[in-house]
Amino acid sequence: MSATPTMSTAPARPGSGSSSAADVVRLDPNRHVPGVRQPGFAQVLHAEWVKFWTVRSTRWSLGLLFALGAGLTTLVCWAAATDLAAGDTGEAPAAFLTWGLLFSQLTALALGTLVVTSEYGTGMMRATVTAVPRRGRVVAAKVVVLTVVLFVAGVVTAVAGYLGGNWFLDREGVGLALSDDGVLRALLGNGLYLAGLGVFALATGLLIRHTAAALTVGMALVLVVGNVAYALPGTWGEWVAKLLPGNAGGAVAQVAPFNGGAVLAPWTGFGVFVAEVAALLLVAVLVFRRRDA
Amino acid sequence: MIVARGLTKTYGPKTAVDHLSFTVGPGRVTGFLGPNGAGKSTTMRMILGLDRPTSGSVTVNGRSYAASPAPLREVGALLEARALHPGRSARDHLRWLAASNGIPRTRIDEVLDLVGLEAVAEQRVGRFSLGMGQRLGIAVALLGDPPVVVLDEPVNGLDPEGIRWVRNLARELAGQGRTVLVSSHLMSEMALTADHLIVVGRGRMLADCSMADFITEHASSYVRVRSPRVSDAEALLRGNGLDVDRLDDELRVRGRNAAEIGELLGGAGLYVHELALVQSSLEDAFMTLTADSVEYATHPAETAGAVR
Repeated sequence: MSATPTMSTAPARPGSGSSSAADVVRLDPNRHVPGVRQPGFAQVLHAEWVKFWTVRSTRWSLGLLFALGAGLTTLVCWAAATDLAAGDTGEAPAAFLTWGLLFSQLTALALGTLVVTSEYGTGMMRATVTAVPRRGRVVAAKVVVLTVVLFVAGVVTAVAGYLGGNWFLDREGVGLALSDDGVLRALLGNGLYLAGLGVFALATGLLIRHTAAALTVGMALVLVVGNVAYALPGTWGEWVAKLLPGNAGGAVAQVAPFNGGAVLAPWTGFGVFVAEVAALLLVAVLVFRRRDA
Repeated sequence: MIVARGLTKTYGPKTAVDHLSFTVGPGRVTGFLGPNGAGKSTTMRMILGLDRPTSGSVTVNGRSYAASPAPLREVGALLEARALHPGRSARDHLRWLAASNGIPRTRIDEVLDLVGLEAVAEQRVGRFSLGMGQRLGIAVALLGDPPVVVLDEPVNGLDPEGIRWVRNLARELAGQGRTVLVSSHLMSEMALTADHLIVVGRGRMLADCSMADFITEHASSYVRVRSPRVSDAEALLRGNGLDVDRLDDELRVRGRNAAEIGELLGGAGLYVHELALVQSSLEDAFMTLTADSVEYATHPAETAGAVR
């Protein structure tokens, strides 16, 4: 702490006149506002945490994530339970326990994109990099905040969806226990996959910088291209489909895959997905560091 | 202290900032003046590490902005365009900024109070008027109690009372020994605020001098003379080596003051009907100075060629 005067005592209120000569002081360039600490990564993380929770889009996205993920799973299980029990659907009941993921992943994409593009859209990014010129740190802090929040939200949503959906499946005698193969893995996997997807969207946002364009690209790649790729002919077509981020990463979040879409083994697929997201993030960080803000 | 050396920024074939070298010293308000598009904002963005110079360098307190461990405590900046999220409250905006640089939360109330926004601190800034937005921007700039303050067009959107407040604040900050750089495209504003002037046009340095020197050098003055024998008066004055322009029956004389000219004419027995010192305003001086830089721009092909 320093004894040098700070601005706080200056009578510079609007409308008040000019200062007296007594205010003239020599400033020590290394002085501090009382009580400041040397900022490190923890401070940047704290700043990003405050930013994350002080805009409405965060609550909206997370609310929607839960409503779509848990709500739709429950709803679809209720609707399909009888058919599933009768074996009319040709699908395993286990596949329906994370049905809502199909839509909740959209909100994870939106949240990840907005964490970056809302800053570009509003000019906030200039304030961000003036406060923290080490841009790699900014991205790292955003990634930590986003992954932690999406992981928790994803697991909570998946557990709620499982409890709701399985209640209806249980009534028809086709429910799954938590100890059954793949159930716990899928519940945790929901959190992991949504967190990864959020980072994927964040990287896309850093590269594209426009909300609408980045969202479109992210959703098109994960949903549209991911599904269309299954129409590609031959073995190589199947591999392309399997390796696309949404398909590779999604497997870990499902108790069992739906028929008709070949997927990699859950953890293999997730490994591929993480590698893809990491590569994209690396490119995004390198571009972000070089580019004018 | 801000030091720029050969600072240059090009966007494709366009040179926004062209080899600017200047020093912004502590304890005074330095006005950064130039018409729109002169490269002021680009220069300020380079000072703050937002834009990367094409060549040259700029340092703040001896090192580049990005090398500062806690930049908000070293340089406070008001950016030209609003750099905030409209959905966030003023207090929350200051909260994350304070957090990022390890500034205690108590300082947030101090700066809100300082700029007079304490009553609307919880409101979302999207609802703020232009003037309130500027006040918040100044609160941001002062958050870290920085020894260097950079204000880009701070009076934009402010009412007369707000303009006076910013003017006094800038002078007060400089009076405390801080380095204060204020950009504007209004000479009249700078005339009341700045001790030192840096004038740019088309990215080039046009003047870097004290306000007093600027007035002497660029705000040209002349003595207007009217006389019934205007031709004789003109011949006499020219004969004494003075610089004389004739407009109909009016003479514009440079190089001597009115008393000397009057004595010269009186000594020769010439009646004088009018003898008046005409001082052009700083605004005119600025216009004249920057008009040259606009003329320079009428040959864009040359500029483009020089860059490639």
